[in-house]
Amino acid sequence: MKRKLLILLLLFVAVTGKTQERKYFSLFTDRDLYTSGETLLFKIFGPENESAGIVHIDLLNTSGKKIVEINKKITDQQTDGFIYLPDSLSSGCYLLCTSTRNNPTLTFNQIYICNRFTGIPEGGTSIRSSETRTVTEKPVNELEIEGIDKTRQTRSKAQATIHLPVKLLSQIKGNLAVSIAETNSGYNSESFLKSIKPKEDQIVEKDGVILEGFVKDLKTGEPFKNGIVFLSIPDSIPRFNFYKTGADGYFNFQFDNYYGKIPVVIQGLDPEKKRLLKIVLNHPDSIPAAISSFENWTVSTELRKIAAQNIEALTFSKIFNQQEITIQSGSRPKAEAYPFYGVPTSVVDPHPFIDLPDFTEISRELLPGVKFRAYNRIPSLQVLNSAMRTYFEKAPLLLIDGIPIHDLNIIKTLGSKDIDRVEICLSERFYGDLAFQGVVAIYTSKSNFSRIAESDELIKFNLDVNQPAAILIIPSEKLQNEPDFRKVLLWKPSQKPEETVRLDFQTSDIRGNFKLIVRGTTSDGSVFYKEQIFEVN
Amino acid sequence: MTNRILLIITILGLLTALSVTAQETLHKNGNAEKIKGTRFIPYPGYSGSPYLTDKFIFGEIEFLDGIKIGNLGLRYSSFKDELIYYNAVISAQIIIDKISLKGFSFTDDKGEHRVFRRQYYNGLLHEERFFEVLSDGKVSLLVYRKVDLETCDTSYNKFGLAFQPSFYYYIYSADKGYSPLKMNRSSLLSKFNKPNQKLVKKMLRKNKVLIADEHSFVAAWNLIKDKEIEIIF
Repeated sequence: MKRKLLILLLLFVAVTGKTQERKYFSLFTDRDLYTSGETLLFKIFGPENESAGIVHIDLLNTSGKKIVEINKKITDQQTDGFIYLPDSLSSGCYLLCTSTRNNPTLTFNQIYICNRFTGIPEGGTSIRSSETRTVTEKPVNELEIEGIDKTRQTRSKAQATIHLPVKLLSQIKGNLAVSIAETNSGYNSESFLKSIKPKEDQIVEKDGVILEGFVKDLKTGEPFKNGIVFLSIPDSIPRFNFYKTGADGYFNFQFDNYYGKIPVVIQGLDPEKKRLLKIVLNHPDSIPAAISSFENWTVSTELRKIAAQNIEALTFSKIFNQQEITIQSGSRPKAEAYPFYGVPTSVVDPHPFIDLPDFTEISRELLPGVKFRAYNRIPSLQVLNSAMRTYFEKAPLLLIDGIPIHDLNIIKTLGSKDIDRVEICLSERFYGDLAFQGVVAIYTSKSNFSRIAESDELIKFNLDVNQPAAILIIPSEKLQNEPDFRKVLLWKPSQKPEETVRLDFQTSDIRGNFKLIVRGTTSDGSVFYKEQIFEVN
Repeated sequence: MTNRILLIITILGLLTALSVTAQETLHKNGNAEKIKGTRFIPYPGYSGSPYLTDKFIFGEIEFLDGIKIGNLGLRYSSFKDELIYYNAVISAQIIIDKISLKGFSFTDDKGEHRVFRRQYYNGLLHEERFFEVLSDGKVSLLVYRKVDLETCDTSYNKFGLAFQPSFYYYIYSADKGYSPLKMNRSSLLSKFNKPNQKLVKKMLRKNKVLIADEHSFVAAWNLIKDKEIEIIF
């Protein structure tokens, strides 16, 4: 019996031993010290058992307020991206927070940003986090970096070779992150962890960012049951989705296959048209967990000097309109090749015809099967049911630039000059459980849906979905007359691990210390690194 | 022996308990898969059936992006080459937009699983069509289950019109396109060169396959397909 118990105990230890793996995201930035107006590059290694497919990266001030929000899709437990640091940021310490909706551990990286107009303030003191739960990386000695001389000239071509021993190569999971960037001893970024309690029943963001919120009765403030929430994404082929709320008034939309910043319109509707509703988005603008203990910190003279040089370099780069990165456009799914309201029965372009002053005239003269009238100043809209050869009783789905509208007064004054095209569906269309007695989709010349006003029931905003990939720009050798103030000489966030990895790079006009750093994760989840510093003069 | 079994069960139980991760809860949007379509308007009461099946049958549809929705009441209109589904929430028969679909499948009354896929037909009447896949592979055996509206004696139908099945069989490959076919032995043999024809004849004889209808033709085709004999078309 003792033997059996021993076997069971050993088995338990063996299995639970596996759980000693990294459960947090490891975030690395290209540098520690930045100037406002620059681009920050980052690389993230996710935990092995992370269920989320989307990671959020937020730039926060020391009060935990979000300044920039980025969402990135995780591929093979890794991702990389960039953050444009706004020009308006004042000098001081900032935090980069990495989180998912379900992971109970937040990873923070502390960076220093210097305002490019004011520099570091005269007082010379700042506050910085004094968190003790810091994250440390594991240096790996087996990895060898060859070909880096201790000193290099400015604007010289260079090569480096990374040798990965077979044993380490077999342990590496995913890609390596390789970078060569300016480094200085005046300020070192620190990474620390904070635990939070994620909400129960949170939806996992598997394929795309989730936007969620509540529909409330405007009068009582109570959650509204059986409300319909429309999501519209205006585009040349507009996208649409809807959600029927339950007793809690909750709704959510997932944004798969979208890249970059997209315009989003959310509308709440009472199907019985009895009550006015209010849309409340569940999108906090701060991360309270970020507020940690801070300590006073004196900015060194050396850091001041470096910051001043950086400001000068950035100013020159801006004068020469030099970009740091190129953004690659994400691909769109072909499945959405036609609008959600179906293939239109007819498409009318009013421009080849004489100018018509309002929509009543346009519908009379140009739109087959569309009856728009404004008797006694009360507008009405009807569409012909082509199958039955009678007009539908109810008003059709009316869209302006892909956004459903219910107030016909908005289109009343639209003349030929305001309209790019009108698409008409002369049949009863269905989208899930929604039925529309015909469709009239007006695309305006400005395509900015400015005619649709925001209200409690309708919210317009730009949503950052999945940030597209970016590549670091290496200036052409032909542009010898232009200054080269790159502080990042090489950025390969997804370098395929091989026994020998050759790196070609070119130094810039910036003098000082540069660091080549190789990072990766092993199959046990730990992050390793190897670095080599060289001087450019 | 009993102790050993108990020990094994305990170990297995322990392993299962440890390996089972927390089941994620999904506050799923009930209308995540939005089917797009138009209202179905019933056909006039001519003789014959314009549909492939007598009633709505539960089946599965697949969208172009690979999303599948199962447990839908489906009915294929052979007359208009349209897929109709019944939306129980709003009690409506809806024609699903053909261009949004990759295909659909269902199991008929006889228990036979039938798979249809949308393909572009580049023949005389070039259009997107739903083809039933009788046999899939590098070279597929497809049928376009068409029903035509034809004139008939008024004693048969008061309008003098009747729905008449008019199925078109094809062999299809992505690189060679479509080649029409009839459900008989000579049509099958015409798709092989002389030496292979002998081989096919021998194979059919050996397996006692007598091609008399669609069912036996498919059986013969599957027999030959497995042998990877070159098909000429």
